[in-house]
Amino acid sequence: MSTPPDVYESSTGAPSFRQRMAPRIAQTKRTWYFLRRNGLAMAGLIILILIAAVAVYALTTPLSYEYMTEYCATNGASCPFPPSVCTYPQGTVPPGPGCYETPANFPSVIAPTWASFTQPGPLPLGSLTVDPPIQYFYNTYDGLLRGSDWSLLISLTIVGAGATIGLFLGAVSGYMGGVVDEGLMRLVDIFLSIPQLLFVIVVVTVLITLLPSSGTDFASHIYLLIGGFLVTWWPFYARLVRGQVLVVREQKYVEAARASGAGRGRIILRHIVPNSVYPVFIQMSLDVGTIPIIIGTIVFLGIRIFPSTYLPEWGTIAALSVADLSAFWDSCQIATCVIPWWQLLFPGLALFLFAISVNFLADGLRDALDPRLRR
Amino acid sequence: MKMWAYIVRRLLLMVVIIIGVMTVTFALVSAIPIQDRLASYLGPPPKGTPGGYSPYLIPGEGVCPANATSDCPNPFYQYAIHRLGLDSPVYVQWGIWMYDSFTLKWGYVANHSEAAAAFPPADGKPVLTVLGWFLPYSLELGVVALLVLFLSIPLGMYAAQMRNRPVDQGIRVLSFSGLAFPDFLLGTILLLGVLLLFGAANHWQSYGCPGYGTLFDVYGSWPPPGCFPNPSAANDGYPAWLIGGYLSTPTGFPTIDAAIHGDYVLSLDTIFRMLLPAIIVVYDSIGFLLRFVRNSMLEVMNLDFVRTARANGLPEKVVIKRHAGRNSWNVTLTVLGLTIAGFWAGFPVIETIFGLHGVGYILAVSVAQPIDFGLTFGSTILFTIIIVVANLVVDVMYAWLDPRVRLG
Repeated sequence: MSTPPDVYESSTGAPSFRQRMAPRIAQTKRTWYFLRRNGLAMAGLIILILIAAVAVYALTTPLSYEYMTEYCATNGASCPFPPSVCTYPQGTVPPGPGCYETPANFPSVIAPTWASFTQPGPLPLGSLTVDPPIQYFYNTYDGLLRGSDWSLLISLTIVGAGATIGLFLGAVSGYMGGVVDEGLMRLVDIFLSIPQLLFVIVVVTVLITLLPSSGTDFASHIYLLIGGFLVTWWPFYARLVRGQVLVVREQKYVEAARASGAGRGRIILRHIVPNSVYPVFIQMSLDVGTIPIIIGTIVFLGIRIFPSTYLPEWGTIAALSVADLSAFWDSCQIATCVIPWWQLLFPGLALFLFAISVNFLADGLRDALDPRLRR
Repeated sequence: MKMWAYIVRRLLLMVVIIIGVMTVTFALVSAIPIQDRLASYLGPPPKGTPGGYSPYLIPGEGVCPANATSDCPNPFYQYAIHRLGLDSPVYVQWGIWMYDSFTLKWGYVANHSEAAAAFPPADGKPVLTVLGWFLPYSLELGVVALLVLFLSIPLGMYAAQMRNRPVDQGIRVLSFSGLAFPDFLLGTILLLGVLLLFGAANHWQSYGCPGYGTLFDVYGSWPPPGCFPNPSAANDGYPAWLIGGYLSTPTGFPTIDAAIHGDYVLSLDTIFRMLLPAIIVVYDSIGFLLRFVRNSMLEVMNLDFVRTARANGLPEKVVIKRHAGRNSWNVTLTVLGLTIAGFWAGFPVIETIFGLHGVGYILAVSVAQPIDFGLTFGSTILFTIIIVVANLVVDVMYAWLDPRVRLG
């Protein structure tokens, strides 16, 4: 007696990777087709790719403050914390190379000029006054360039970790049902009922009091910021995934898997999670753009997340640029009024482009993945 | 389920959520340094207390002998530690915290905090009293913002009708740019623009107070003291009903109070001054709602009954308004709660920028160094309760409009 041949097995044995992935590849191609026809989504994608390119470029490029730090190290001079700009008032001796002369009556502002694009070690996007009493300057260009790394790193970490936690808790909650589901979802209800922005603010405020006030250990502050965000970030994903899992677990293929003897873990990991993950991707791409804005809001409200205020991060730079308009009001008392438009424009533009491009992309994805809206 | 049963069930759930929120707050409170907790519990020091709010007496002051080698414990703090249960297990502390929260003992404004420096009258007052001073202003701003929100919902429906045409794309860009624009940046830019358009420094005076100027004058919850006809010297030049220049009596709602005291121009001006901040917070949080309205409208417009209505020869306007529109309103209500939460969360920033004295402003001031934890937690809980209640109202409306919700 011979056993009948397995109908699902191809003649060459187990199905190849290509064969196994064929439906998913087809699905991706279909999504790409609909996405490509959506102009705004494509614009978002292109802007995102540009931002990623800037981030990669920033990783490989020494910034002007790094030249300065080297100069200070070799000449034994004391340097301000990077990435500040070295300035000196008109008519005095420049303290080092790459230092900028400021007009006597407006010591706090260096406007971007067309000429600065062509000179070496330029200040193409102007300066940003951080702390008027001690005359501290950002080089906006340096800050934004290096900030692309920090912003992407921090927001991707938060969103990735938050989505992972939410994905598994949501999947477990949705699949198990019963007491586990009820308990987890009430917890989620409680967390979600506190407005997210305020929750982040309060958690971060509390957490920074736990750190020692002295010392400039950036890493621990950044871990803490990420931790503070995570506390408030997972519940939304958990609820999102649970709703999706409730639909998916009733599908025939899950039943088939259960009938063929698959365990709970296998069903959740191999069948339910991959099939309820698309809304999570969409939500993740939306959230990535929001995080620098929230960090900016925290800094704007005067919470000192970072040991010095000078971590180049887009939200932080934008917030500092807004918070310090007192310099503008002071200069307006004098006859000629200088509005530091570059302080507002460039960091704001970076934040805005990042957030709006991920929003466009997410919306295009949602349209492409949701057959009901396609018609 | 009957309607009243549904409401009762939701009210019970709300109590559970508020207990949960208090517990989360308790976890956060337990993490803060003990001196800060004690400072926000103790309230103003009794007259002649040596050492003030410091948890330890400084050598050479008060009862602590001048030759003491270390700090001496302050008896008031010993008492406070016992009262807060800090010498007991965690569950006792939790019980005390819950009891205090529900009996409205939310602590005091600590006297070395930035909040107390910004508002001297708040120094040492109970947190709840101080929040009560500032809540009406935020509520009024919230009402104005809600009106702006309702006025902009039809935009989403219009986008659905103009699907994939330039108008739809325009509304899409509008809603997403709102999500992508930080409150603090937009607020500052618009404030700057308004000030540059209508002139820079003190407008109230340049327009010759009283007269209250035009639409966008200068922001702030109240005009400077010179603008009032019957100033009282004892009250910093403000009339007696405007205590300290920011707390209006008797109701606390600025529009109502100004009207009660016969100042209708100021009453109207208050609403005008709230308009721009309201538009900004709504613009920043309305993106999802507009998208949701558009998508649910699109879904409804594909349904059979809409096609039937069209096939029966009803004018397109009627089909949109009576058939599709009314059905998509139901779905819209589900995200309305989320949007309201979104714009309330924008209040700390927007009230700071425009100098409006609401709860958001208090929260923003309280987190500035040195932090006032009593006010921070108090205003967060207050915000949460407002949003939970708003959500409850929205859900009850939803259940009332759509019986499937309460039956299912």
